[in-house]
Amino acid sequence: MSADEAPKSATPPASRAAEKLKAFHEESSIGKAYDARLIRRLWPYVRPHSKFIVVSLVMLVFLTALGLMRPIVMGDVVAKAASRDAHGLMRDGAALAGLLVVMQLMSYAQIYAMQLAGARSMSDLRRSVFMFLQRLHLRFYDRTPVGRLVTRATNDVDAVGELFAQGVLNAMGDVFTLGGIVVMMLVLDWRMSLIAFVALPVVGLIVNFVRKRSREAFRDIRAKTARLNAFLNEQVSGISVVQAFGREKAAAAEFDEINVAYREANKRSVYYEAVLDAAIEMVSTLCIASILWWAGFDHLGEHTITFALLVTFTQYIRQFFEPISMLSTRYTIMQSAMAGAERIFQLFDEKAVHPPASGAKCAPSGDEDVVALDHVIFSYKEGTPVLKDVSLHARRGEKVALVGATGSGKTTIASLLLRLYDADAGSVKVFGRDVSEYDEHELRRSFAVVPQDVFLFSGTVLSNIAMADAKPDRARATLALERIGALELFERREGGLDARVDERGANFSGGERQLLAFARALYRDAPILILDEATASVDSDTESRLQIALDAVMQARTSIVIAHRLSTIRAADRIIVLHKGRVAETGTHDELLTKGGLYARLYRMQFAHERAQASDRTVGVTPAPPPA
Amino acid sequence: MQKLDPTQLPATLGGQLRRHLPAYALGMVMLGAFQLAMNRIDWLSKHAIDRIFGNEAGAPSIPALTMLVIAVGAFVTRVASRWFIFNAGRDVEYEMRFLMLDRLQKLGTAFYRKMSAGEIMSRATSDLAQVRLLYGFGVLNIINVVFAFASTLQVMLTLSAFLTLVCLANIPILVMISRTVSRKLFTATRENQDSLGHLSEVVQANLAGVRVVRSFALEERERERFEVANERYLQASLSLARLRGSFQPIAGATAAIGMLVFFWYGGTLLLKGPENGGLTQGDFFAFWLAFVRMTWPMIALGFAWSMIQRGRAGFSRLKEVFDAKPEVVDGTRRAPAHVSGSLRVTELDFSYAARDAAAGAKSLPRKVLDGVTFDVRAGESLAIVGRTGSGKTTLALLLARLLPTPPGAVRIDGIDVCELPLSAVRSQIGYAQQDAFLFSTTVSRNVGFAIDDPDSPGAMERIRHAATEAQVLGEILTLPEQFDTVVGERGVQLSGGQKQRVALARALVWEPKILVLDDPLSAVDARTEAAILEAIERQAERRTVVLITHRVAAASRCDSIIVLDEGRIIERGTHDELVRAGGLYAAFAEEQRMASELDELDDVAIPSNPAPVEVTS
Repeated sequence: MSADEAPKSATPPASRAAEKLKAFHEESSIGKAYDARLIRRLWPYVRPHSKFIVVSLVMLVFLTALGLMRPIVMGDVVAKAASRDAHGLMRDGAALAGLLVVMQLMSYAQIYAMQLAGARSMSDLRRSVFMFLQRLHLRFYDRTPVGRLVTRATNDVDAVGELFAQGVLNAMGDVFTLGGIVVMMLVLDWRMSLIAFVALPVVGLIVNFVRKRSREAFRDIRAKTARLNAFLNEQVSGISVVQAFGREKAAAAEFDEINVAYREANKRSVYYEAVLDAAIEMVSTLCIASILWWAGFDHLGEHTITFALLVTFTQYIRQFFEPISMLSTRYTIMQSAMAGAERIFQLFDEKAVHPPASGAKCAPSGDEDVVALDHVIFSYKEGTPVLKDVSLHARRGEKVALVGATGSGKTTIASLLLRLYDADAGSVKVFGRDVSEYDEHELRRSFAVVPQDVFLFSGTVLSNIAMADAKPDRARATLALERIGALELFERREGGLDARVDERGANFSGGERQLLAFARALYRDAPILILDEATASVDSDTESRLQIALDAVMQARTSIVIAHRLSTIRAADRIIVLHKGRVAETGTHDELLTKGGLYARLYRMQFAHERAQASDRTVGVTPAPPPA
Repeated sequence: MQKLDPTQLPATLGGQLRRHLPAYALGMVMLGAFQLAMNRIDWLSKHAIDRIFGNEAGAPSIPALTMLVIAVGAFVTRVASRWFIFNAGRDVEYEMRFLMLDRLQKLGTAFYRKMSAGEIMSRATSDLAQVRLLYGFGVLNIINVVFAFASTLQVMLTLSAFLTLVCLANIPILVMISRTVSRKLFTATRENQDSLGHLSEVVQANLAGVRVVRSFALEERERERFEVANERYLQASLSLARLRGSFQPIAGATAAIGMLVFFWYGGTLLLKGPENGGLTQGDFFAFWLAFVRMTWPMIALGFAWSMIQRGRAGFSRLKEVFDAKPEVVDGTRRAPAHVSGSLRVTELDFSYAARDAAAGAKSLPRKVLDGVTFDVRAGESLAIVGRTGSGKTTLALLLARLLPTPPGAVRIDGIDVCELPLSAVRSQIGYAQQDAFLFSTTVSRNVGFAIDDPDSPGAMERIRHAATEAQVLGEILTLPEQFDTVVGERGVQLSGGQKQRVALARALVWEPKILVLDDPLSAVDARTEAAILEAIERQAERRTVVLITHRVAAASRCDSIIVLDEGRIIERGTHDELVRAGGLYAAFAEEQRMASELDELDDVAIPSNPAPVEVTS
């Protein structure tokens, strides 16, 4: 966090870390403003709403035409005044008024129709992104930060939406206006027109020059804003670390550099915007002055230029430069829209997706085995298999404990059963059918899962227990809590079952979250329970509650328990000992003991230990094993 | 760049205005000059036209050419006015943001419990933006409207007072319309942002909980949630579009009415001609220019008006941060030159009064710590053991004054920590927290967090060494860019255990006199733990170490151990003494021995390729 961390653009980055960070934070490349391939892919989303676009464009044509007529009518008012035609003056005044009102109404309708088409198509596109994300393989989530994916559905779609919100299609109107004015001016007085046309390339150059820089400044601002906010946000969430390490000054210095960079980028943008606006105004004033000057000469000669023509011409000149400036703004929007579309379609090109749910029912075969793995091989990363030839099964109503060290593949087995991942080789069967034959939802409805890290959604205690139900069954949730012996614990909380749950359950302790997960499983009442026992330490009160809850959920269900506590292991009908991705031993507690292998050695150690500690303990003692 | 002194920066609206007065004054001069130039252009047009059409003697080319020069002047002054005033607004924004971080750094947990990170960020972004608009756009337009009014009225009134009066009839309406629309726009924009925020929350929760969603087949419910949020955002953006779209026609129509009145009545006056008290062509033209010129400042006035109101409201929300009182402040005593590192805690009581009061508890706030007393001699190590919720972390936070430590309770080398400057306390008592919070920067920056020049070769040496000691070097070297890999938020995600060890390395680099490690090994496996504990022991040879842990294996290596339960010390002694005593600590020891034996299952030699033993009964 030295002072040279984020150097001014002039000096090269002073350190390696600074370079990395800069490369990491700054927005990389800017794409093309037009890409036919992307437009073609966007079209299906826009087509259902294209009638609004057609309406909008038709109105745009009318508007442009009316816009071209306005200076003529104005000039005519003046002409009528000059020719002392009081009646004509009244009529022209009324025409001008009517023209203006019609134009304003039409422009409202034109803009709104465009927005309507845009907002609706973007809503559809956003839905597609969301639904696509639901079908992506979990492998994809393993390697992609969630924040980036959220951006696809929000910011990137919005960037594309700007095409409509900012009326990029109105660029057609701009071109039309520009052409129309050129024609009108030429018709009215070609010599005076030339003066304005001389200014045109000048304005074009200025706009091009300034916009390019202003675009850069704007891009810079965006990158700096993101960095500034990310940094501040991080400082706030990590403030205790900063304070504990006494790094306030260093952090402030780093923040100051980002803050300064942000300010300077903004100042540059302010400058360019001001120059652009003022330059266009200056050029139109210069044009008017030149025309007056020219008119002076001309007037001395042939008296061809009337005052009315002068008024009309001035008005045209004022309208002349606007489309040029607009066109350049729209170019910028196009660019960022294309970049957004590019990122969205890149996501859509991702191959690792599940096919859409078929909805096909799959009758369970009469097989006794509720779940069975047969010579399963699986790896998350190629070359490092997590499961190396695993075969195991659980019969109806059986409680199977999976035992083994971290990384031995226990949790992976659970994921394969739910078909969160597909096995590389071998078969995974549920109720006698291969998991790939099921409709995914159908398959997963057979399971109740209690994961190690319980994820709570923001909502209420009730909505979290009755997760899958739109209308939660309160009585059933209460019963579930009661059966796990946690009803009074949650009723004690303010709001009871309706107590608020913050994002990710931040306002609930680890133990409470575990209990809620048990209640979820009971509420769900699925035939198969998968339980990944939490390893995190909880206080003894919660510990005993969890034990009660565990017994309640396992009752009358086929259970696969990834066990960490000896009491749970001993309560199992059968124990499967996993070691480095292989099944080392399988059997009941008694069988494994008689066999005298791995498990037996473990148990004897444990047994001897427990006999040595004969005296009663009030705290921290594992409860006596329940009868098998 | 000149360094700012936070104490010198005014945190009031008026104070900031005075501080940037020179820029505003220059901006004002430029605006005045600009409006004067525009006024001149109107008059020059009049003369040019009147000379063309023979209402005035002289060559039309002279005013026309003068106009060319003045137009350039108008350009320069216009750009300059924006440059001065908008930049002043940006400077104010910059300084307020600077002040904000400065305040946030001084505030403690009491404040952060009251104000969430989200609320703080909304102050730092949208509220600050409102304040900036007040100081930039708001100020510029308020000044500009005065000059614009003077500059245009001078032309219009001189030419025809009555026409002016007729044309200006709709100006107040225009100002009111733009003010109303501006207000509504603000509300609609906010709703639009809120609904977008809600939408991203829904997507975020869905993706972060993707495993739950799939395991429980919640896709249908999630799709409904998304549809609701998506529809809300669609409606919000459409209503914003309607509002935005309606402003132009309404303001345009109102302005057009004025224009119409001008063309019709002005036309009548033109028809009369100057000889009958009417207008010349030049008068008509100049009046027209001036009138057109007046419309925008009037609309902008409406916007500026509501912007000032919003800026003030935004500022009052910023004040909540600026005016928050830090609960922990510097002591008055000078930091001692040399510290040996002995720690004495006497009769330390603590309760989270604020939190309990906020929750509306009627009973006395529960004591989190109750009469905690212990001594650690310089260079010795102490383990604090206890269950979750026993007060271990609170105790550790109080040592480094990360919470409001009661005076006289904690002493370093016999000096009360409350009497010392905070920087001195925290450089002597290093607290490494439980949850391994890493910053989204490179690994080397995270490990070298405590080092002033983390890029020097010496620093890199220390960073590597600490990473080795924390048993994380090997894993760092397998990262895509090793020590230069950006971690966190949007970079490479580290596992819980890796994060914890990087955080531990960060604490090991630090080398304070007293190192407080709060449960640094909770997500680390047993073998790694042993290696790390050796590293901590090596640390302990050079400094005082306070190790908070629930692991007996870690505690047993310390010179002495205290056991906390419900805020009180219930046992103290060495490992052997406590195991013999047969209390809570002994119970822990037993529990954990059982657990570790289960873990060791992995280390027991088993056949490398066993045939799966399918036991069927």
